[in-house]
Amino acid sequence: MRHNFIDRYSSLDSPLHTLESRTKLLAFAILIVGVLSIPTDAEAIFFSYLFAAAVLMGISQIPLGYIMKRMVVLLPFIMLAAVAAPWKGYAGFGALAVRAVLCLILLILLTNTTRFAELLCGLRRFGFPQIVVINLGFLYRYLFVLMEEAMRMKQARDCRRVGRAPLTEELRILSSMLGTLLIRSFERAERMHSAMLSRGYSGDFPVVAPRRFSWHDIVFLAGTSAFVGATIWAR
Amino acid sequence: MTEYAIRITRLNYSYPDGTRALQEIDLDVRTGERVAIVGPSGAGKSTLLLHLNGVLTGSSPIKIANLNLERSNLQQIRSKVGLLFQDPNDQLFCPTVFEDIAFGPLNLGVPAEEIPARVNKALRECGLEQSIGSRSSHHLSLGERRRVSLAAVLAMEPAILGMDEPTSNLDPRNRKRLIELVSRLEVTLIVATHDLGFVLDVCSRTVVMDRGKIWADGDAQTILSDTRLMEEHGLEVPLPLKAETRP
Repeated sequence: MRHNFIDRYSSLDSPLHTLESRTKLLAFAILIVGVLSIPTDAEAIFFSYLFAAAVLMGISQIPLGYIMKRMVVLLPFIMLAAVAAPWKGYAGFGALAVRAVLCLILLILLTNTTRFAELLCGLRRFGFPQIVVINLGFLYRYLFVLMEEAMRMKQARDCRRVGRAPLTEELRILSSMLGTLLIRSFERAERMHSAMLSRGYSGDFPVVAPRRFSWHDIVFLAGTSAFVGATIWAR
Repeated sequence: MTEYAIRITRLNYSYPDGTRALQEIDLDVRTGERVAIVGPSGAGKSTLLLHLNGVLTGSSPIKIANLNLERSNLQQIRSKVGLLFQDPNDQLFCPTVFEDIAFGPLNLGVPAEEIPARVNKALRECGLEQSIGSRSSHHLSLGERRRVSLAAVLAMEPAILGMDEPTSNLDPRNRKRLIELVSRLEVTLIVATHDLGFVLDVCSRTVVMDRGKIWADGDAQTILSDTRLMEEHGLEVPLPLKAETRP
């Protein structure tokens, strides 16, 4: 079983993909701050951001359908937040929704144009605490292992079950499956730790990072900063 | 004087819950020797391997390449003893293959500029393409993962290699590949396994372990063809040897 639903297109070779991870982290952070600071009634600025997002999508070569699909999964959560703030009225709701869509597009672009490992390297070189970055790395690595384990357990359950059990019984089975998964993960963590110790782990998690900045990075960073600067100055 | 890679005398170990996993283990392994530890599941084989580099510590000190295994020289010993775990998912914990293979050498203090060469050498030794380095372990097949795990261990250039069930779940092609690969290695080898065909191909000496004790120790062919001994400890005389002893 293979899964790559998080960063399926991250190994393409578009201009956006070849940028340094730090450049992208910084540029997308600037863009997101820009999106969040758009005034509610500034329609022209909203459109210019939508246009910019479309340009980035075009450069990235990621299929539009995929971005839409990812968005459909994530959007309800954000819409919930928008609904939870009814005092803002229709205009407020609209602005919030567009901001959410823009931010999502940007984040989907960031995670799908950068390999997760490089994203982590970027975070690390920006001075994020090592322990946070390592744990994010483990999360990414073992999410798939855990999913496979859960899927196998589900298959085993389905193979031995005929028809539907009453709800209480279903819940009981589900909770014992979750418990088993937890214990297995715990044991795996112990084995992993042994494996880390065996390869000389002593508290520090060193990495080598061969990527360097090129003039593309400078152009991209300057471009996005200028764009965000212009939208703030224009209002 | 014979050089010993591993010297274990009267080693006892109990798990925190009181289970006696190892009892009075005596085992000397000469430098360059290839030793198999065979025995049923739960015999203590994996537990014994984890003692070789001090992940677990039992009652009596172990000597690795004439060094007493102690807290103060753990790092030094871990640079000499490489352990290959049974499940590659436990061993490959980094986001990419490259980072996983680089992890050991970096911990040993190998300078960053020498790392890519080390990683590529280890990949080559394990018959893997250099391009696999940028991939994530979860996108690899089990055979590839097992070889990447081995590369991660070999990148540390260990003198002693301990392997736990290296051929489990491998299909015949990948198993054969692994046997060829391991046979070429110039290390002291200690393998815990159920794959007695692997033992015949790779190891010259066999130790039978059961319920935490060593029951037999000697020439691989002789021990593996001893029907009574094998059956007493939940094992089976491997097919090639059965054919020879048939009247």
